[in-house]
Amino acid sequence: MSLLDFARGPAIHASLIILVAGILLRLVGVLALTRGADLSRPRDAFGNFKGYRTVFSRFWPSSEFTTATIYQTAMAYVFHLAALLVVVGIVPHIEFITSLTGFSWPGLPNWLGVAMGTLALGSLIALIIRRLSHPAVYNSTVGDYITWAIVALPLVTGLMAFAHVGPRYETMLALHILSAALLFAYMPFSKLMHAFWFIFSRAQSGLAYAHKGVRI
Amino acid sequence: MSATATTQVFPTFAEVYQGFAGQIGMLREMAPTPTKSDDQRLQGAVDTLIEETNAGEAVWLESCIHCGQCTSACHYFQALGDAKYAPMRKMDLYRRVYRREISPLRWLHRLVTKAVELADFEDAVPLIYDSCSECGRCTMVCPMGIDTASLVHHMRSAMVAAELVPPELAALRMEQLHQGTVFGSSPEALKNMVDTIRERAGVDIPLDKESAEVMVLSSAVDLVANGNGLLATARIMNHISVDWTICSDGFESANFGLLSGDMSLWKKQSDPIVAAAKRVKAKTLVIAECGHAYPALRWNPMLRSGALPFEMMYMSEFLGKQAQAGKLRLKPMEGKVTFHDPCKTGRRGGAFDEPRSVLKAMNADLVEMPNHKEYNWCCGGGAGIFLLADATELRDESFKIKIREVDETGADSVVVSCASCRLNFESGRQKNHWDKRVESLVELTAAHLIDDDVAVAPAAGAAS
Repeated sequence: MSLLDFARGPAIHASLIILVAGILLRLVGVLALTRGADLSRPRDAFGNFKGYRTVFSRFWPSSEFTTATIYQTAMAYVFHLAALLVVVGIVPHIEFITSLTGFSWPGLPNWLGVAMGTLALGSLIALIIRRLSHPAVYNSTVGDYITWAIVALPLVTGLMAFAHVGPRYETMLALHILSAALLFAYMPFSKLMHAFWFIFSRAQSGLAYAHKGVRI
Repeated sequence: MSATATTQVFPTFAEVYQGFAGQIGMLREMAPTPTKSDDQRLQGAVDTLIEETNAGEAVWLESCIHCGQCTSACHYFQALGDAKYAPMRKMDLYRRVYRREISPLRWLHRLVTKAVELADFEDAVPLIYDSCSECGRCTMVCPMGIDTASLVHHMRSAMVAAELVPPELAALRMEQLHQGTVFGSSPEALKNMVDTIRERAGVDIPLDKESAEVMVLSSAVDLVANGNGLLATARIMNHISVDWTICSDGFESANFGLLSGDMSLWKKQSDPIVAAAKRVKAKTLVIAECGHAYPALRWNPMLRSGALPFEMMYMSEFLGKQAQAGKLRLKPMEGKVTFHDPCKTGRRGGAFDEPRSVLKAMNADLVEMPNHKEYNWCCGGGAGIFLLADATELRDESFKIKIREVDETGADSVVVSCASCRLNFESGRQKNHWDKRVESLVELTAAHLIDDDVAVAPAAGAAS
């Protein structure tokens, strides 16, 4: 079995199993814990439901914090949107998803895919530069840097494979798929789980404050 | 200098602050020493966190991505710029315990992380007490919406079990636990203050009536130092001709169970108040201007308040509702004024509009601070921090943010509605030779009452 066959076969499939099982284990394990009760009378009888809007309102920081957060927020948006477009938009990725699920859709033109990949990598670099230059603000841990590297690797290897830079194409492609497998397998055990937690975390804070009549 | 503090009956608030600062200094010598072994203290702390962690806390602990945005919202971090005080770090130790003991991945975390030690809890004291007033401002910016203040509060409970409560809070917790008083504010002290107010100010306080529509709480600050607070409360209650009382078996707003993190003392302190309010068949329980008393009672999660026969409200809410109903007849107030929302009644309590209604009833020229209501900067003295000697630099430096905010409004005076905020403002005013007046909402209201026919030495110059 060649490296590429290993990457395309057992490696990526095992990583996807770890991804799905790990996400379920972590989500269910946390959400099934006991629920704390707040017995105090809410400010408004049905006001608590207004708390759910925090799930949406927190997609952009309020104007009070614009100056301090604009760089981080803008770069994070560029990264998330560009990375999403690359993951589900370029033709080889769509072919892989089709092989697993049967679903398919039209892909982005190559130039746009490369542009998005470059943008995602660029914003990721912009974020790490800020993290490194403001140590007091970020209190970074080893986990933060490992996560950054594991997220950056598929972008770097993917762009290199497309541009035919580095080792021969088959090896580069295998390395790209292996780096994606690493990302999938790592995701449930890392802070990348925020892709799910943000909904629950925002909602429960929104509800707790709405209980007191406060909009956060 | 506070305009309302010039009344002739009691000392000015500037003097009150100075006397109070002396008393606080003595607390450190009265602090208890640990009684349990180090192993028991550590186990107690860990067990407390396990006991208090529900899905809500777990989700918050899981959600932090170390994005650093909370640092822009925290007055202590902004004041000192020290990585140590970043809000996200305040939950680090809690998260370590959570990961090893509760998390669905605990088998993995036990393999790759070190066990928590008592020294870790000792190191966390400055983060859990000195540098977090549980004001909740970091929640306003956190993209995950993590409520760090709640997590810090659970850590305070763990600190009680670890016998690591800072000496000032520990001394007051012990006093309230064993003597039932705070700074000696016993039922006798209440009776003495009521008698003094009757004799020297000619204002009647109906103490221990059998039944009353409104039951009013007092606070240690009013009883042992600032008689003007209780005097002002009495003048307002008499002005609106409400059927009211103060109960000597349930009058203390301050709750050092809540401030230290001792949940059983919290309950022990709030239960007699609820019992007294039921006994006198009160329809309304008014909590004195003592910020943390609002969450201690009104938002007490252990108290099914919807089933109680009375409503609980903060002094500023009560005054606001009276003003909105047109029952407060107030002289106009001159000069520009701004209002400081105490964290516990504002962002973490929701009483925003009522205090502003009172100021409106005085025709006050209210100018809001750039960050107000939900976004208000904490003054730096909340959650007991005003009392902590170790937090002096954090408190003093962070107060400069407040000075800047107030100065930007161009107001002559800043109105607060919380004894802790007021003491902290007074401290900051004196230390910085700040030219603003610091007013308490209840005393300002009393000083502006019209047709107050009680023969009292008036709060002279209050309307100037």
